[in-house]
Amino acid sequence: MNQFNSGPSINTYNKLSHWFDFSNPGILKVYSGKIDIGQHISSTLALIASKITEIKYDQIEIIKLSTDISPNEGITASSLSVANSGSAIKAASITLKINFINYALENLEIKNEDVLFENGVIKDKNSNKTISYWDFAKTDDFRKIIIPENFDENSLKKINYENNQKIELKTINDIVTGKYKYVHDINFPKMLHARIVRPTSYHCKLIKINEDFKKRLVENDITLFVKGSFVAILSQDEFLVTKFLEIAKKNIFWEEKQQLSNENVFNSLEKHEKESLLVKSGGEAFYEEIPEKKSFDDPKIKSLSTIFKKSYLMHGPIGPSASCAIYKDNKFTIFSHSQSIFALKYSISKYFDIDPNLVSLKFIPGSGCYGHNGADDVAFEASVIAKEYPDRHILLKWTREDEHSWEPYGSASLNKVFGAINDYGEVIYWSNEAYSDTYLSRPSDLELTNFTSYKFLTNNFAKTKSTPKTSAHMGIHRNLDPIYNFKETRLVKNLVHDLPLRTSALRTLGAFANVTASESFLNDLASIKNIDPFDIRINHLDDERAIDVLNNLKEKMEIFKPKDDSFRGIAFSRYKNSAAYCAVGVELNVTDDLEIKLNHAWITVDAGEIAYEDGIKAQVEGGFIQAASWALYEEVIFDSKEIISKDWDSYKIIGFDNIPVFTTSVIDQKGSHYLGVGEVVAGPTGAAISNALCNALGQRIKILPFTKDNITKELLN
Amino acid sequence: MSKVECQLKINGLSKKINIHKDKPLIYAIRDDFGLTGTKLGCGLEQCGSCAVIIDREKKLSCNLLAIECEKKEIITIEGLQIDNELNNVQEAFREFNAAQCGYCTSGIIISITALFDKNKKPSSQEIQNALNGHLCRCGSHSVVLKAIDSLIEN
Repeated sequence: MNQFNSGPSINTYNKLSHWFDFSNPGILKVYSGKIDIGQHISSTLALIASKITEIKYDQIEIIKLSTDISPNEGITASSLSVANSGSAIKAASITLKINFINYALENLEIKNEDVLFENGVIKDKNSNKTISYWDFAKTDDFRKIIIPENFDENSLKKINYENNQKIELKTINDIVTGKYKYVHDINFPKMLHARIVRPTSYHCKLIKINEDFKKRLVENDITLFVKGSFVAILSQDEFLVTKFLEIAKKNIFWEEKQQLSNENVFNSLEKHEKESLLVKSGGEAFYEEIPEKKSFDDPKIKSLSTIFKKSYLMHGPIGPSASCAIYKDNKFTIFSHSQSIFALKYSISKYFDIDPNLVSLKFIPGSGCYGHNGADDVAFEASVIAKEYPDRHILLKWTREDEHSWEPYGSASLNKVFGAINDYGEVIYWSNEAYSDTYLSRPSDLELTNFTSYKFLTNNFAKTKSTPKTSAHMGIHRNLDPIYNFKETRLVKNLVHDLPLRTSALRTLGAFANVTASESFLNDLASIKNIDPFDIRINHLDDERAIDVLNNLKEKMEIFKPKDDSFRGIAFSRYKNSAAYCAVGVELNVTDDLEIKLNHAWITVDAGEIAYEDGIKAQVEGGFIQAASWALYEEVIFDSKEIISKDWDSYKIIGFDNIPVFTTSVIDQKGSHYLGVGEVVAGPTGAAISNALCNALGQRIKILPFTKDNITKELLN
Repeated sequence: MSKVECQLKINGLSKKINIHKDKPLIYAIRDDFGLTGTKLGCGLEQCGSCAVIIDREKKLSCNLLAIECEKKEIITIEGLQIDNELNNVQEAFREFNAAQCGYCTSGIIISITALFDKNKKPSSQEIQNALNGHLCRCGSHSVVLKAIDSLIEN
């Protein structure tokens, strides 16, 4: 352990009271600005605090995020929860412990060797006098402490801990007994259940509501809420609302202002207006002239070019999005499972043109989802309805059809890759052009139009244009810059406009498509020169940690004899070229009916210091499963009128029948920074499956998902 | 819309409720009995999150009419504990931390409980059949399968 940086959250929240509450004797309550979406962040943060403070894990509680009391650590996204909040809590814990020991030694007037330290209490073994963290927290000394931005080696030497603890998840007992409460389970007296009556697609203006239908609603004590073209129905009886939602759809009429599209989306990606930026080494995008792609005449240099295609993907949480809101005493209180709780506070206050302090957001879990799904929309919509019915809680739930049809998808994309390899097996030229819609349209106070209902509320159906983001690895160009030492690269980010579907952040943003394309293509270049997939990667890497991860994967895969008729593939990535390292191996079979069966998955990950090993394994195995589902099954189907993929039959995802055996290895870099593991595995998973499939078929399949239809089309081509 | 009287027995508790005759069982469980551990995922019998046990059989409650469940023994996730102790399946899921967000978990536990209730040593295929139709989006499958494997080993 050399030096430890406290991370960005400590710049703003540098007091111990920003992170710790010792007001309940024997209990340490910990604040965090990150939410638990099933990634076990609450257990991980409690474990970090426990390891360092030596307060028992069971005595540590993580306070659910609330904009009233929690530090604003931005969005729960980008694999930064442990990297930011974990580092902050580690820094706060180290600061607390060092200062507490000093305070105790001074006040008890004892020597180091006479100290007994157990579970947050220091005891003088001679006099039996004690002092605890809880005593210390009442002192002026505690209040004055500033958490440093960095810790030097001498400070860190005073802190000892192990990283291999087994814990019980904070949430698990309530989950297995059905007591764990989600937004959907909220119940307040006189609460109104709400559902939105939606048209067929994004650009439909309300024309008419049948008068007879309105009468039926009144007869059944159901309230109709209409604002612009935004329509909702409300009742204290939840079932009645769902029943009348179906009736409403036949009695409310809309004018379609603009259709979706019948054009093949991959043609649209190539042909539509676009903004092209040059991505340079380091991953930042620039408005600069794009150099022409090189060509190679030297017969000793072999070049290759491929176009990889990925369809629209959906987040598809198992429980549709929901939110509960109340407007009381001119203030909003909103319960939400949004990953952008603070941004939502400012967006909603902007919409109502009120002081942000009059909007309080409280996190309550929703169904698991990694990225920007319907959670923000539904919270906004619940607040719009609540404003009209003061003093009543409004519980608004999206339906399955709402979630499938109205969430912001992960964009369809194209990667045009071209590369050249010389006689020595060196990749001397690498060009990758990524084409996609935006991955970044989370609502903010500056972008209210990003709420799907905003256009219905304002009756303004004009399309808005996204602006390309330029920071390193932001959006479309995440992991477009290869981590390898290729002699020359040409990287282009193309933000394509006027595409048919609403898109935003889905786990990994552009990295899944970019890594799947790059790591597949690297294998194809290697195969020209008969170079082993491990060798081509290791030969182009200097980073010892990257090489260690690949060597570890190779070693683990060699332990297992391949099953009959099976094929293997590998891939590697470092997320954003700055976060966790991950190598993935896959063994699969392809049936006679061109169905892909996953036998075995090997994952080796280096996420810096291990915060919680089982949590890391759960994240990377879960990430593998989601990415395998994207690669094998998932595509959003639509026509010019509407989304066709309205349910789980029309949008297939992976089931328990295609889950491989996992061999997952986590390399501990004790003392180094937490790197986060929420997304690192997805890109290498797509590519490892692609590479194994290529080995099985003897041909590269370049369209995701690898369904029978797509494989057949590619084989026939 | 008129309502009908319906007597349901859930987790050993019998209760008369007045409901719309087309009310699905899940709404009766959640609204009229206040048992929110059973989750609505799709309302289309496609995701498995609403599974309950009826007369020892796993059933999906999102489309099943409540009035058709009179005189039947209905068990939800809240009713699996015996004398406040977790049942074997719950215990295995707890021991293996076999959940991520947990939204799909109660349906899966119900399904596996119904399976092991009838067959202490189910085959891999029988386990797969029981899990068929249970969707999970977080990717908790691998650890869920480990928890289930531990039940067979024990």
